[in-house]
Amino acid sequence: MFRRAQRRIVVPFLLPASLLLAVFFLYPLARTVQLSFSEFTRTGRQRFVGLSQYAELIGDDQFLASLGHAVVLALAGGCMLFPPAVAIAWAFHQRLHGERVFRFLIFAPVVLSVAVVALMWKFILHPTLGLVNPAFAAIGLGDLVPVLLGDPRTALLAVAFTAVWHGIGIWIVLTTSGFARLPADVLEAGRLDGAGEWTLFARVMLPMMRDLFRTLTILWIVQSLQAFAFVFIMTGGGPFGSTEIPATLMFRVAFENAEFGYAAAMGVVIVVLLLAAALGLNKLLKRDDLEY
Amino acid sequence: MSHRRFGALALVAAGALLAACSGGGAGGPAAAGPDPAAWRESITGSIEVGVLPAEGTPGRAYLEKLAESIEAEHPGTQITLTFANTEARPALEQRWRSGDGPDVDYGMFDGTVPAQQVWADDGFLLNLKPYLDAPDPATGKPWSSSFTAAANGFLTNPGDGGVYGVPSEMSTQVLFYNAGMFEQLGITPPRTWDELMATTAALKAKQVDPIAVTGLFQPYMGMWSDNLWLREVGWQKANDVLVNGKGHITDDPGFLAGLEKVQQLRDGGAFIKGFQGTDFTPAQALFFQGKAGMILMGSWLASEMKDVIPPDFRLGVLPFPTVAGGKGDQQAIAAAPQMVSINAKSANVPLALEWVSRLTGTKVQAERAEQFGELSGVVGVPSPKGVTGIDEVVAGASALVPREFAMTGTKAYEFVYAEVARLMFGEQDAGTTLDRIDQQLRELHKN
Repeated sequence: MFRRAQRRIVVPFLLPASLLLAVFFLYPLARTVQLSFSEFTRTGRQRFVGLSQYAELIGDDQFLASLGHAVVLALAGGCMLFPPAVAIAWAFHQRLHGERVFRFLIFAPVVLSVAVVALMWKFILHPTLGLVNPAFAAIGLGDLVPVLLGDPRTALLAVAFTAVWHGIGIWIVLTTSGFARLPADVLEAGRLDGAGEWTLFARVMLPMMRDLFRTLTILWIVQSLQAFAFVFIMTGGGPFGSTEIPATLMFRVAFENAEFGYAAAMGVVIVVLLLAAALGLNKLLKRDDLEY
Repeated sequence: MSHRRFGALALVAAGALLAACSGGGAGGPAAAGPDPAAWRESITGSIEVGVLPAEGTPGRAYLEKLAESIEAEHPGTQITLTFANTEARPALEQRWRSGDGPDVDYGMFDGTVPAQQVWADDGFLLNLKPYLDAPDPATGKPWSSSFTAAANGFLTNPGDGGVYGVPSEMSTQVLFYNAGMFEQLGITPPRTWDELMATTAALKAKQVDPIAVTGLFQPYMGMWSDNLWLREVGWQKANDVLVNGKGHITDDPGFLAGLEKVQQLRDGGAFIKGFQGTDFTPAQALFFQGKAGMILMGSWLASEMKDVIPPDFRLGVLPFPTVAGGKGDQQAIAAAPQMVSINAKSANVPLALEWVSRLTGTKVQAERAEQFGELSGVVGVPSPKGVTGIDEVVAGASALVPREFAMTGTKAYEFVYAEVARLMFGEQDAGTTLDRIDQQLRELHKN
């Protein structure tokens, strides 16, 4: 009786979300899987080829390289993102003079469009018309800085830096809220026990925010895989494919080469890999609930 | 089965059902067009026309006026212009695939490029041959006779002999140089490879970067290897090896010789500083700012950069230098047409034909050459002003051959230019470049 009444209430609440999920997630996913079993001509004619495109993907150096680049982007970007985000969030957790100004300055890039940010940094990093290389050249250190977007060893890092610069404000806000949620009595107890601020930060605060960091890490990995616009605008995947990530490769394969089936197969593989990565990270970073 | 599982299954089933219900491509047999002798009598309705200039540019304003004049001559008609260049192409192609392509569009056909014949082969485009063969009431001559021999080489679909596009303009790959700077420095424009190397040395001695080139767009770097291979081995040989899989790139030493010349430029520091991180627009701007002496580019350069060319800048143009001992085409020029095609399923083909015939008519072509520096494929249209010598270059060419050896749209297009880029960046030498291209060509052509 109670369960039936409960169901009568739950179903109408779930229905809109379920419909949205079906139309905007399950349908595209099912359609992508369906497309991946067909080969397309440029004009849209299709032929069923079964799993052959998945087999082709296994030996596709470009695809494997793009996955490698995505991993590098996630790792390098993560290293550029989390330490400063945590440090700044911790600073905001203290009472700072002029905190609002700092908050504004750090959050301001977030409201800019990705296209604007990518173009701006493309200009800043231009070897002769930009700011970075000419500035170093002006003080006689020009040889120390490579052509950042034109060197396969630095181009991906430059893109990662730009993506981090653009989005770090959000991560600081999220991390700040994590600090704000820490129970004051636990921190106070630590202080009474003689712990310094650094010890409190490293031994109390960070471990207590572990669940938050797990979520943020997964979110960052997903976001870094979607750094399409930064790569597309800043390097177009070059030099010679050194910044190609799965999203830009899929776009090129689908819309420039018109190989929609192959691009769909890439998409399915990426979804599977992302799910596996999320599950793996969840398992790796999971711990018993902390009670305080 | 629990309710939760049942719910999830239902959602998945709903997604799969939606996916299964969706359709495929929109090809199929083309509808027959109007009577070639009488289409001018039934110009009505509205059409959507793809155009290359972006909104707000002088080129676009010109086309808007052309549309207005056609609308005024044929009351009740309406012509809507749609940007159809570069970044807009993927979305437009998707519209074509779904059966909703513009009535008139660019980039759908080139008789010399196999990858660009599929739209015609699959019935998406109107065969213009009957209309080109019909006499023009104004001149009494067939419309087809208005195109130059060079332009005609791109019109015919080898599959069925049909004509699925006509050129609204042509482009050739030529070596531009800063004529004022050369005169001031007492440098003679280079006509041979040896002269080019001497010129680069002379410019470097005067603290000028010799050649502007982009490192962020591989096909533009590939112009150097393309033109050198054209001189060293010839168009047909290169086309056979790169596109048709006939023979290997290692068979003819000319391919390596071409790459070695690219390396020669690289090792001689001929390219602008930081070209690796310079996009093509800044590279072109650096040339017009006098920071570089030469640039190998399409003849569209002058019209594309019209707004940033200083008023006193004198632009010189040369054919790509000849190569002593080269076994290829020493006087040929790589070229490409901007082909305009008509949607076979257009509801108003006569109005689309009117647009295309007016666009490719002598009056419009002459005005576009005069105002925007466009190179025309129409007989009797003067060469564009502001580009000293381009008329001589085109007139002196033994042939206008399809650019990129018709590699566009093939897998070879990607890896050949990527390897050439590696060579220009100093990542590898000419021999390694050749080996890597050879290996990938063998995999592609399975030969």
